[in-house]
Amino acid sequence: MTALWDFLTVFTQPQLLLLVGLGTFAGVYVGAIPGLSVTMAVSILISFTFSWDVYPAISLMIGIYMGGVYGGSRTAILLNIPGAPSAIATALDGYPLAKRGEAGQAIGVTTVMSFIGGFVGIGVLALAAPLVSDFALRFQPRDYMLLAVLGILLVGSLSQGSLVKGIFAGALGIAIGAVGRDPLTFTERFTFDLQIMTGGVSFIAVMIGMFGVSEALLQLHHVDKDAVRQKITRIVPSLSTVRKHLPLSLQTSTIGVVIGALPGTGGDIAALMAYDHAKRVTKNPERAFGDGAMEGLVAPETANNAAVGGAFIPMMTLGIPGDAVTAIMIGALFIHGLNPGPMLMIDQPDMFWFIVGALVTANIFMLIFGLTGIRLFTKIVEMPRSVLIPLIMLLSIVGAYAVNNSLTDVYWMLGFGVFGYFMRHYGYPLGPVILGVILSRLLDDNWRRAIISEREDFWRFMGGVVSSPLSLTLLIAVILIFVSQTPLWSRGKARLFRKKES
Amino acid sequence: MNKFILGAISALTLSAGAALAEYPEKEIQGIIQWGAGGSTDTVMRSVTPHAEEALGGTIVMQNMTGGVGAIALNHVADSDADGYTLLMGAENPLLYKVMGLGDKDYSDFTPISILARGTPMLVANVDAPFNDYAEMMAYIKENPGEVRFGATGPGGLPSVVTGMITSVEGGLDVISVPYDGDGPALTALQGGAIDVMPAVLGAAIEGIRAGNMKPLAVFDVEANAKLPDVPAVTSFNDGYSTYLPWGPFFGVFVANGTPDDVVAKLGAAYAEGAKNDEFIKLMDDRGFTMMGISGQEAQDFLTKWQQGTTWLLQDAGLTKASPEDFGIARPGE
Repeated sequence: MTALWDFLTVFTQPQLLLLVGLGTFAGVYVGAIPGLSVTMAVSILISFTFSWDVYPAISLMIGIYMGGVYGGSRTAILLNIPGAPSAIATALDGYPLAKRGEAGQAIGVTTVMSFIGGFVGIGVLALAAPLVSDFALRFQPRDYMLLAVLGILLVGSLSQGSLVKGIFAGALGIAIGAVGRDPLTFTERFTFDLQIMTGGVSFIAVMIGMFGVSEALLQLHHVDKDAVRQKITRIVPSLSTVRKHLPLSLQTSTIGVVIGALPGTGGDIAALMAYDHAKRVTKNPERAFGDGAMEGLVAPETANNAAVGGAFIPMMTLGIPGDAVTAIMIGALFIHGLNPGPMLMIDQPDMFWFIVGALVTANIFMLIFGLTGIRLFTKIVEMPRSVLIPLIMLLSIVGAYAVNNSLTDVYWMLGFGVFGYFMRHYGYPLGPVILGVILSRLLDDNWRRAIISEREDFWRFMGGVVSSPLSLTLLIAVILIFVSQTPLWSRGKARLFRKKES
Repeated sequence: MNKFILGAISALTLSAGAALAEYPEKEIQGIIQWGAGGSTDTVMRSVTPHAEEALGGTIVMQNMTGGVGAIALNHVADSDADGYTLLMGAENPLLYKVMGLGDKDYSDFTPISILARGTPMLVANVDAPFNDYAEMMAYIKENPGEVRFGATGPGGLPSVVTGMITSVEGGLDVISVPYDGDGPALTALQGGAIDVMPAVLGAAIEGIRAGNMKPLAVFDVEANAKLPDVPAVTSFNDGYSTYLPWGPFFGVFVANGTPDDVVAKLGAAYAEGAKNDEFIKLMDDRGFTMMGISGQEAQDFLTKWQQGTTWLLQDAGLTKASPEDFGIARPGE
């Protein structure tokens, strides 16, 4: 009963309700601007809300978090520039929809699906948090490594067109991710003794450059062409559309919660994995993936919002952050005199239910703010290109600078922008590059941790993989997915099914 | 002409005098060396608002990560030494030179305040086949090269602690598994990926309270008030008294050459801020020992810390360059 009361705290106090709403509203717009991240917004808020009580401070942060994760999809759909790494997969099918003049519909579906995903995440947090965190703790370095390998196999689904070019792009991404001081031994890699290289290449700068600047350069070819008129008659998706995608959205939400709850992975990887999953299970999409398939929007958007609830699971049960934002929130709780950790749920159960309540509220606000103001947003893409292109450039530069307040990042961003333009020009997909950069460290660090833990003995390592059910499952998944992408699979399948059909 | 120069000089001194009198006349930038949500970040973000009040100015904090903190350090060192850019850092810059991570350290800075210091300790996975420091050492002797220790890279707290163990016990044959920081390593400890982790007390205390990890020993000369039942490592082997007490610390710095009255003003503000009850409670909850030293006292503390730690790492064979090369004297010499 007290739990219910704590859960309802936000609804009963107008001040908190207002703060969650304000946070969500700000989050949608902060998230939509590439380079302005939720992490940044929340860390600024820590100083800002220092003298407040803990409830209002957390309310505002949760609002920004929920809104920000959703907001990343806006620019991904409208401009092909993901506002945040977790919206990369959204751009793949969202932008083709905007090019057809269906941006309004795409945003509508995205909003409703983010809402559903958000609820699944919160639901799991509320009902099964200890269970999920036990499971997440069981992931050993070798399991993270296998997960990264599984992620790298997504190159197949992210490469539209030539797989060879996709593999090249993915490998390039992995190499970019390895630049700088190696985080485990601080040895310099690919730095060529240049001071500028030792800090590594900011992954956000690569993302903004590859998507934002290259898009602007590409559009220069058609600077005279009229902008696509957007149909905004139907924004809220019909009930039948939602119902049709419900099974898929529940599956991808589950992916989102689990990946989000793992301390080493977050919404970006979850969204890409969900996209891949959707591509696998959708037998006959109305439109091909990469061409504006609704499933390609549903999957990443449910997954990245479900990952929000997921990220809170280890934070609330163990005091371990599920991602960068929850890491800052743990710091905020400390500053406000609480001791986040495994005892928090026992010492202060009210905090847990309050956070669940605030998340639910933020999710509802996200739906409201998401479905209103779309008309205004779609006007952005209807702007003449002569205005839009400089605007994209401006946003990209500001965004790249803001990540680390570093001018170096702006140079990287511009460099990768030009490079990305040529890659696109010659039909190299950009998705795998970003995927490679994201997974580079996950793969590299955990492979080394895993093999070091086994005294650098490969067979001992394999023994460990085979004797752990979790590792074994992941290994089998890796093998299956790998084989399913080779001609061997279709030939085998053809032989197997031929008899039955005849 | 002479008149002009005289005029210019007097104008300059006048304006300079005015600027000093009014410090701070604009926003002060606080550069935090580590990421948001970490220990340094938490400490700085909780003390600074109180220091701002005492100073009567605004300090805008921002995290500048990368290069094990060297990027932030170089940024502040390259900024004007006018007291408008503060470095909010931890202990590791003192090891940059010997670790080959950079050519600057706190000798290029003037300490405003060394706020607090942490206490290291050894924690183990709950299922580990040993329950205290002595049992752990015995187990390692019986099973050489099998126990997994968490690490955070060269120069990190775990490397110093294992360096101490190596020196005092004459060897430590374990597997050292590197992680990004003590947070991820303690997570791995609870999941069983590593068996033992040398960590700062504040990071481990909640996990110990919940029974998710077990304490083996506190690396100090006496038990800690936060964990009175955990024995000090000196009670197992007195050889540790040579190196202890030792611990990571947090401090606020400005570049050398900052006017003395600005240093004094900032020092007074942080000294006042560190007296705040909420801040003291926060530090106490996390098991940090308040220090609040500045001026020559802080300078001496830094010198002693650097001498002890660099030579310890040098003797354990963990350094890239000898402390001698940088004029860091062996302790006691």
